[in-house]
Amino acid sequence: MKTETDTALRHVSALRRIAASILMLAGLIVGGTAQAVISGTTGVNFDLTAKEGYVSMGDGATVYIWGYALDGGNVQLPGPTLIVTEGETITVTLHNDLAEAVSITFPGQTDVTTTGADSEGYLAGEAAATGGEVTYTFTATRPGTYQYHSGSNVGLQIEMGLSGALIIKPNAMNQAYNHPSTAFHQEYLFFLQELDPHIHTAVEAGLTPNLAERRAQYWLINGRSGPDTFFDDNIPWLPTQPYGAMARTHPNETVLMRVVGAGLDVHSFHTHGANFRVLARDGRMRETIPGVSGADAGLSDFTLTVAPGQTYDATWSWRGEDLGWDIFGHAPGDPCEPSGEECDPASPIYDHGKAIPVWLPEQQFLTFGGFWSGSPFLGQEGALPVGEGGLNLDGGYFYMWHSHIEAELVNFDIAPGGMMTMMIVEAPGVPIP
Amino acid sequence: MKRVYGMAIRMVLASLALMFATGAGADVFVQCPGDTDGDGVIDDFTDPEYLAHPNAVCMSITGGDGFINMADTTVTGGARGRQLYMFGFADVTGVPPLDVIDVGTTAAEFPAPSIVVNEGEELYLTLTNVGMAYRPDLDDPHTVHWHGYADAAPVFDGLPDVSISVHMGGSLTYYYQVRGPGTYMYHCHVEATEHMQMGMLGQLYVKAAQDQLADGTNLNGFIHHDGYQYAYNDGDGSTYYDVDFPIQMSSMDPEFHDASEATQPLPFALMNDTYAMLNGRGYPESINTAELANTENGVVSQQQNALVEANAGEKVLLRISNLSITEYFTLMSPQIPMRVVGVGASQLRGTGGADLSYKTNSVNVGGGQSFDAILDTDDVAPGTYFLYTTNLNFLSNNTEERGGIMTEIVIHP
Repeated sequence: MKTETDTALRHVSALRRIAASILMLAGLIVGGTAQAVISGTTGVNFDLTAKEGYVSMGDGATVYIWGYALDGGNVQLPGPTLIVTEGETITVTLHNDLAEAVSITFPGQTDVTTTGADSEGYLAGEAAATGGEVTYTFTATRPGTYQYHSGSNVGLQIEMGLSGALIIKPNAMNQAYNHPSTAFHQEYLFFLQELDPHIHTAVEAGLTPNLAERRAQYWLINGRSGPDTFFDDNIPWLPTQPYGAMARTHPNETVLMRVVGAGLDVHSFHTHGANFRVLARDGRMRETIPGVSGADAGLSDFTLTVAPGQTYDATWSWRGEDLGWDIFGHAPGDPCEPSGEECDPASPIYDHGKAIPVWLPEQQFLTFGGFWSGSPFLGQEGALPVGEGGLNLDGGYFYMWHSHIEAELVNFDIAPGGMMTMMIVEAPGVPIP
Repeated sequence: MKRVYGMAIRMVLASLALMFATGAGADVFVQCPGDTDGDGVIDDFTDPEYLAHPNAVCMSITGGDGFINMADTTVTGGARGRQLYMFGFADVTGVPPLDVIDVGTTAAEFPAPSIVVNEGEELYLTLTNVGMAYRPDLDDPHTVHWHGYADAAPVFDGLPDVSISVHMGGSLTYYYQVRGPGTYMYHCHVEATEHMQMGMLGQLYVKAAQDQLADGTNLNGFIHHDGYQYAYNDGDGSTYYDVDFPIQMSSMDPEFHDASEATQPLPFALMNDTYAMLNGRGYPESINTAELANTENGVVSQQQNALVEANAGEKVLLRISNLSITEYFTLMSPQIPMRVVGVGASQLRGTGGADLSYKTNSVNVGGGQSFDAILDTDDVAPGTYFLYTTNLNFLSNNTEERGGIMTEIVIHP
């Protein structure tokens, strides 16, 4: 009996499996390359092209898409993450290589001016089919997490992949908004969407898809379905899906989650390991006293409802305190790491030197996950049977972040997969690039 | 996806069960401080291990398979509705270790045995995998995932990909220092889509330490008395309640369960839940207070109901959760408003203490979400009121109308 992850990894296609195993051995799957910053493109002038292409799902299936490409390059899913700074004037030029009119709308941006549109469009001025061009300009007034997407033939074009994230950073470093209550150590994007491959197949064949019968069969984070979400950004065998979704932090540090509901269905996003605290919704802080109190009115929860078009910013932190045993596996005489408080019986985090109060079963009674280090202690590795584990090189604590509508944890008829990724809490001192 | 075997494989069932019953290859090992005979019940309060863990509480459950019946009796014409094969947990606390496999086999309960603990306790929860006797082709491990346990360490988080899970015949004791009052839930996380669709879901909630304050304690103007209970350590009595009822929503796809029972490929892509339930029962079974035995082997596998009863003037805490793996449900109390005081086992307060609680008639609950809502019956006339989903297509038991997520709130004079 293999674990879910092992099983899922077996389901990647043969060619990709070979590549995956080579790279896994090189430690690239989790061994230190998950970025603590969000991958994307920065600047003030962006050149996007709407075009067709293909993406790969976690079960090896290939799906035809329409998407936004940067600077005439590969189409990509989602579109390029545009990362800009508060106060800047942003210009986005859209070229259209598709056979129907296309556009971009920027929900939450209030002063978008459109120049050179070939037609008025529905939600935004359009670039005409096959060669049209249109330019949008706006001022990045309010920091926050937003999305952009096509404003033309929207039911179909959103399904086909014409959407992306827009992140407006405040001038303050390492804050989501202009208030210290929104400070963070690491930030990650979770761009949630889903697709129905039958629609894509019909469009590719030149048929009119029946959107009324849409039923999603693939569920994606940052354009990838599990287990591809576990892989690094810009892996060569997913050239049109450049963004991974693995996240990493240390105990007591603060992670900023930027969550975008980019599909047509509602998702229920569960964070193993700890509750998150909502800071903002749709780019607006949850404040008791607007402009003064900072993000003090967001709720704490373990599962976030993310509806189509909504964005959430939330912080998440894992402390590993008050478990009744020492997560570092210290003996009573060992140094008081990481803090002296650990040894203070009056402290709520006093667990120093306490053993796990139960015996763990012998190996023959257990199944081992690929991300299990062999040790219950943070930063340590333990003995594992031959062929087990091996995906957790620094003894980190892994937490799955996933849709808690578990029907979405599959890739078509193959379980597991879908809307899942991992948050890794690394031991103090393990570098996070 | 499981390999397809013929139905005839069930022929080996008897011999397999015999093998377990005689203990071959099995190692039931229930760990509990002060438990001298391994049945998960503390019996020696002078045991040094118990004295080192005087707040210990123990529970012993099995993971395996079994049967339940749905609530659509007029369709089937029988005394009980459609029978569904399921995977699930069973409570074997108090069962001697040599009998655990025997008692736990094909004894799955839906929902799973409830876990109710007090803040400050140490929970020793032993899971023994008894195997799926009706599916001897499966060798699935199982786990317990305490959904929402803050600062969990992977070893006790039950996520198989990143942790350990327990094989057939083995036992794993999970250890939890119980903190954070509120409404959680638990489920098996192995092959989550399959094992959760099959029914490995249960209630789990933590009662607040504030309940245990000395009589007469002044909570910011609110005087605590013995027996008073609170949803959270609110410091002001604002989450006081007289009675509490867990209300867990779930749903099942009968075609998926039948495919599993028949050892057929599982319809993940076509998953379509048509039985929606409260505490493991569709209406009208939801208001039937009898414990229900299934029609396959007579095991009392549906022990809970969802009838809410209180006296006029009492405050009623509903511990609402949803473990459906396909549906969001909106739960409506049309006559008696709910004051939502907590979500996700966290009191609705801002980081600076601002009161974020609110009054509503409905809550929209996604899979893996929980709400603590208090019904104030002060101005409510005695009588019978309803609590149901406004996803009205789920007021049915599969094809039969008048069922699903519906129950009654009975206010006595």
